Amino acid sequence: MKMTAMTEVTTDNLEPPSVPPSDSPGEEEHSAGIVLPDLADRPTELGETVGNIHCENPFMVAENVNVYYGDNHAIQNVSLEIGKKEVIALIGPSGCGKSTFLRCLNRMNDSIEIARVTGNITLDGKDIYRKEQDPVALRARVGMVFQKPNPFPKSIYDNVAYGPRIHGLAADRAELDSIVHTSLDRAGLLNEVKDRLDEPGTSLSGGQQQRLCIARTIAVNPEVILMDEPCSALDPIATARIEDLMDELCEDYAIVIVTHSMQQAARVSRRVAYFHLGLLVEVDETDRIFTNPQHKLTEDYITGRIG
Amino acid sequence: MKTAKTTLEKVEAGLPRRRRKEMAFKAIGVLATAVGVLFLGVFFATLIAEGSSAFRQTFMQIEVELREDVIAPGGELDLVYADFDGLVRTALREQFPDVSGRTDRRQLYRIVSAGAGYQLRDMVEADPDIIGSRQTVWVPAASNVDMLVKGNIDPDIDETLRPISDKQVAWVNTLRDVGKLERRFNTALFTNGDSREPELAGIRGAVMGSALMLIVTMVLSFPIGAAAAIYLEEFAPKSRWSDLIEVNINNLAAVPSIVFGLLGLAVFINWMALPRSAPLVGGLVLTLLTLPVIIIASRAAIQAVPPSIREAALGLGASETQVVFHHVLPLALPGMLTGAIIGMSRALGESAPLLMIGMVAFIVDVPGALTDPATALPVQIYLWADSPERAFAERTSAAIIVLMGFLLLMNLAAVIVRKRMERKW
Repeated sequence: MKMTAMTEVTTDNLEPPSVPPSDSPGEEEHSAGIVLPDLADRPTELGETVGNIHCENPFMVAENVNVYYGDNHAIQNVSLEIGKKEVIALIGPSGCGKSTFLRCLNRMNDSIEIARVTGNITLDGKDIYRKEQDPVALRARVGMVFQKPNPFPKSIYDNVAYGPRIHGLAADRAELDSIVHTSLDRAGLLNEVKDRLDEPGTSLSGGQQQRLCIARTIAVNPEVILMDEPCSALDPIATARIEDLMDELCEDYAIVIVTHSMQQAARVSRRVAYFHLGLLVEVDETDRIFTNPQHKLTEDYITGRIG
Repeated sequence: MKTAKTTLEKVEAGLPRRRRKEMAFKAIGVLATAVGVLFLGVFFATLIAEGSSAFRQTFMQIEVELREDVIAPGGELDLVYADFDGLVRTALREQFPDVSGRTDRRQLYRIVSAGAGYQLRDMVEADPDIIGSRQTVWVPAASNVDMLVKGNIDPDIDETLRPISDKQVAWVNTLRDVGKLERRFNTALFTNGDSREPELAGIRGAVMGSALMLIVTMVLSFPIGAAAAIYLEEFAPKSRWSDLIEVNINNLAAVPSIVFGLLGLAVFINWMALPRSAPLVGGLVLTLLTLPVIIIASRAAIQAVPPSIREAALGLGASETQVVFHHVLPLALPGMLTGAIIGMSRALGESAPLLMIGMVAFIVDVPGALTDPATALPVQIYLWADSPERAFAERTSAAIIVLMGFLLLMNLAAVIVRKRMERKW
């Protein structure tokens, strides 16, 4: 397997392996003098999560979370900590449960009748699935941006103002105006729309719509922002803008992003969690996971063998 | 490579047959549409051909001496008992002084409508100053004369086979020759209530009755139907009960409308003792009829709202009720309104359930309140169609044209509402 020394993780270093599929330990070709640990040491079966599920300043903690869709055991015994102001990326092949896990964090799975969640998820120490917890209050603290931009068929102003309005965050119109302006500014959209706030949100381009959705989410002043493949429907330029945005936003919010693109995970996140068939295989810092994955499945996924 | 060639050969061999089938299918589609359009065309052509003549009515001019001693004997204006008919008869005798003998004179008086006297009375009531003067009045001709002038009675056939005699034909021709016979717009059709005399009969009572009923129906069925649809679609837990309710509502939409009339008779008239023939009861019965249609259309409109909008709202922390009223309802409203308008236009055309609750009576007064006895336009059409007078045949078609006009307007409104309110998401 070819692995070159990396100081930074970039796209061109992640190439598929040049060895035939049936490789056996000890027969690797090394280049540039890197000595890799013996493959025999690496875990190959699905079992305990490898790496470090903990982090400093944990804000949301998931413990032994299981999700069942009817009889289908979609998430199996996942434990993970999410830090206060970090970007953590959830990666994995299609159907591995990363979106399902993400939706547990703001109880969006409540609206799916056959979904059943067990285990413990706490936000700032308090269990979000306890009986007294109102999902409405939870979602004001944990916001979500979806895969396909879904602005309301209202004006741009009303889109951003909707959250503050229903939660009563603004005392008067002036305060609401300032919240809307600030949110649009932080989402990097204000300059483009400041003189047409009355136009429908759906008249914007795809990238602008997604930034509008982000503005809408941060207008409520959450503490965590969940992003479910936010750039998969956007062109590269729009994607780059939103990734830059994430860089700025993580100074104030914890961001959990589900992404299909490993390159994106490598670009934006500080920690990466790799899911496979409902299990959390490995969690670690981004650099380490992409240069030196500890689990064979992680390595296979990163190098493109599976996925 | 031999396998690939054979496949291609097989495909190409089957192509002509497939093309023929496609052409045949397209031809059948065009044919079916053409047949539909043909029937529609025949329907409208027949309707217009038969009904358009009813919009014109023959009038004749008479000179009436409004004698004070008849209208206001002893200085007192007596509108109730004054012999206005006598004044009309005098005018006719003056027009045709050669007519003598009781039989002939009776025939003479019959060429003018029985409502001529009432017309004079209304004139005097409006302006009592004309008493004592000589007035030139255009009064409606009798319906037989009207039919003769419109060509529906053949004057050349044997006298015993037609309702108008030779002498009457001659008098009509004389009037026509001196320019005292005219065809004018038949305003009576729109301003009068029903009448035994065709030339005085109008649809105003029926239209008012229908309008009052539709108002009751709209006020009751749309809110109840919309609320039921919202509850069933958004809030009701999925269980055996909700399935049962859904099946029953779908069935109700297909129940023959006369059953609703029987229900109305039993519940509203017998048990609740509401007045018979009232638009209130008619409206209640039509509400029962329209409710399933509105519920089904509203549910479809609510289901069509994309889940992404709901998720976005939920994700921001909106409660389920807020999601429904702030987001789902505004987006579903065009569909719900369209369903309501279509349900309403169906209700407008119903006659069977109304017959059951007594709106088949012969009602001449235009209803003013919800509890006044009334009839509805489709019922009026049915009553006129049943009538033996020749002149009612064209009036039946004219009333149908008016009904069709209303239905077309309502469906047009539905299309416009849909177009205007459709929002892109």
